[in-house]
Amino acid sequence: MKRAIILVAMAFLGLVMAQGRTVNLLWSGAITGPTSDVGGPYGAGVEDYCRYANEQKLIPNFTLNCTVRDDQYQNPNTQRIFEEALDRAKPAIYLGYSTGAMLQLKPLINEVKMPTIPASAHIGLIDPPNNQYMFLPVSSYSEQVVALMEYINRTTKNAKIALVINPSPFGRAVVDHARRAAQRLGQTIVDVREVGSGNLDNTALLRALDAAGAQFIIHQNVAGPVANILKDAQRLGLNRKIRQMGAVYTGGSDLIRLAGDAAEGFLWASSYYTLDENAPGINLQKQLAQKYNRSADILNSTNYTAGMLAAAIAIEAMKRAAQRFNGRIDNETVYQALIGMNGPNAFKPGFAVSTKAGIEIDFTRSEQTGAEGLRVLEARGGKFVPVTEPFTSALFRQVRNP
Amino acid sequence: MVDFVQNLISGVAVGCIYALAGLGFVLIYKSSRVINFANGQFIAIGAFMAYALAVWVKLPVLLAALLAMLLTAGLGFLVERVFLRRLVGQPIISVIMVTIGLASVLDGLMYLTPFGSGNFTFPQFLPQGGLSLGGVNVSYPQLLAIGFTAIFLVLFSWFFQRSVLGVSMRAVADDQMAAMSVGVSVQQVFALAWAVAGLTAAAAGIVVGAVSGLNQDGLIAIGLAVFPAVILGGLDSVPGAVVGGIIIGVLQSFSTAYLDGLFSQIGLVGGGSQYVMPFVVLLVMLWFKPHGLFGTEEIERV
Repeated sequence: MKRAIILVAMAFLGLVMAQGRTVNLLWSGAITGPTSDVGGPYGAGVEDYCRYANEQKLIPNFTLNCTVRDDQYQNPNTQRIFEEALDRAKPAIYLGYSTGAMLQLKPLINEVKMPTIPASAHIGLIDPPNNQYMFLPVSSYSEQVVALMEYINRTTKNAKIALVINPSPFGRAVVDHARRAAQRLGQTIVDVREVGSGNLDNTALLRALDAAGAQFIIHQNVAGPVANILKDAQRLGLNRKIRQMGAVYTGGSDLIRLAGDAAEGFLWASSYYTLDENAPGINLQKQLAQKYNRSADILNSTNYTAGMLAAAIAIEAMKRAAQRFNGRIDNETVYQALIGMNGPNAFKPGFAVSTKAGIEIDFTRSEQTGAEGLRVLEARGGKFVPVTEPFTSALFRQVRNP
Repeated sequence: MVDFVQNLISGVAVGCIYALAGLGFVLIYKSSRVINFANGQFIAIGAFMAYALAVWVKLPVLLAALLAMLLTAGLGFLVERVFLRRLVGQPIISVIMVTIGLASVLDGLMYLTPFGSGNFTFPQFLPQGGLSLGGVNVSYPQLLAIGFTAIFLVLFSWFFQRSVLGVSMRAVADDQMAAMSVGVSVQQVFALAWAVAGLTAAAAGIVVGAVSGLNQDGLIAIGLAVFPAVILGGLDSVPGAVVGGIIIGVLQSFSTAYLDGLFSQIGLVGGGSQYVMPFVVLLVMLWFKPHGLFGTEEIERV
């Protein structure tokens, strides 16, 4: 009898060992609610990459348990989801979303030492204090906007620029850096306007900016409001007079779908490869979208790419933590794996561009931006095509902390 | 001067969208004294139904719009039959709470559909650009909003002044018991009010979709944005909703054109006054004329 019990117990143990251990990853973001046009595809990207990671056993001996939660862009929901996860699932890494919620959670994230990769690229997330565990997958919004201003300076000296931003911390993130960059470039910020969704008519806005002498409008927003402004500019004939451009969440397939041919000529700063390019990450994205029956809108969305990149970085860090720390995947080891992701150990999933030879994603203890390269792309014939090589904004480093 | 006229016309066009969205609100209040907090959800459902019929069923957009308006009217009728009929005679606050609950339920149901996330656009059914006259430009979707509002205003004015049902609605609004005692079917009146409110909400949603694309939150936000307009015009006045809507639209246009620039000049991050001004007007109106410009002033004898 004793022998039988021991045999059963050993068989059970063997079964458990064969199945491996479970490690948790949490993403919470706006699958519904404001900015869900970004959050929906982003969440899908996280979800699909997690499924792929489990199928491919990217973390040997571990089963990845990815929890994807909808916070509806409500900070209290995000906080509740995060605290619940801390109590119950104890995720090894957290993939965050909105600027507001991430800024709010920053002290708590630091307190519990949770490595965090937010969708928001607000520079304040990686600026002190409480910034140790935050890692931006791509260059910050501020760097993207300053890079666009440098791009303007290549062709137009002393340009007059208007900023049109989302009425939120996400939108306002770039204003101070843009003002400082303008001073150094000899440009003038003629006006800063806040425009949210539901902008049914932008005539007054565009005429006011035209009257102020704006030659360029730089948007820091999501695609919906920008598309409405582009359509109104075309109707008023101001598209020929004022060149419009924007940071990463303004552009992509959503903008082209919403604005139609009014999007032609729009300039877009993005660190991601486009769907037309032959990059390993993009090829994987196409493959996974087909495999998991994602719609064409999701497949075409840069936000789907962005979600996959965030998940890829997180899962790679978990894998490296397991390798380096003898199968121990927790907040501390994942953090160590992230800050060791540089030099010959940099990560190259093929979703984002890079200015450094062969290095796509790298982090150190003090350098918490993954893909530092970005390109300017232009909407031509219904798709975005790159008009610059990948570059980093030298000026941004000067104006970041003057 | 051209700028001023352009801003005025643009404001009127946006105001007509608010008016259209506010009409359903007013109809329900006019007949039952109920404030429908699910108005934005009706707007969104109407617009998404039109999209689904046009894109998925591949009907011509105008036919899809017409069908969506009828279906949303049916939804309004159904809501009244299922949720509100049994509340006839109950305190108004109970009915209002039901509409808040209804808004939440409809929100949740929409989130379960593909429309809960992302942006959608109707297939092109209006010419691109707009009409230009003397340097003033109005887009075709905006003209559609103005046209819809004018048609509904004329129809409702006739309906409430001349038709038996319209007069019955006014009678029910004045005094339910008295109306019932002369043979008016209060239940029929309520059902009709909700159905027509659904119809106008769908019309508003379709126009908003044509102007700026379809997004659940954007559409629901329009339903809330009309509060200042209908309170300004008078909660129980159809012409009031139109005038209130237009005033709010013009005010927003002018504040963007003239006020935001001033904010920028004094070093504030400019913009956004268009979101605040309607509520400033709302507060002022509630202080000085709580029944609105055209609303019925109720005098209670003690």
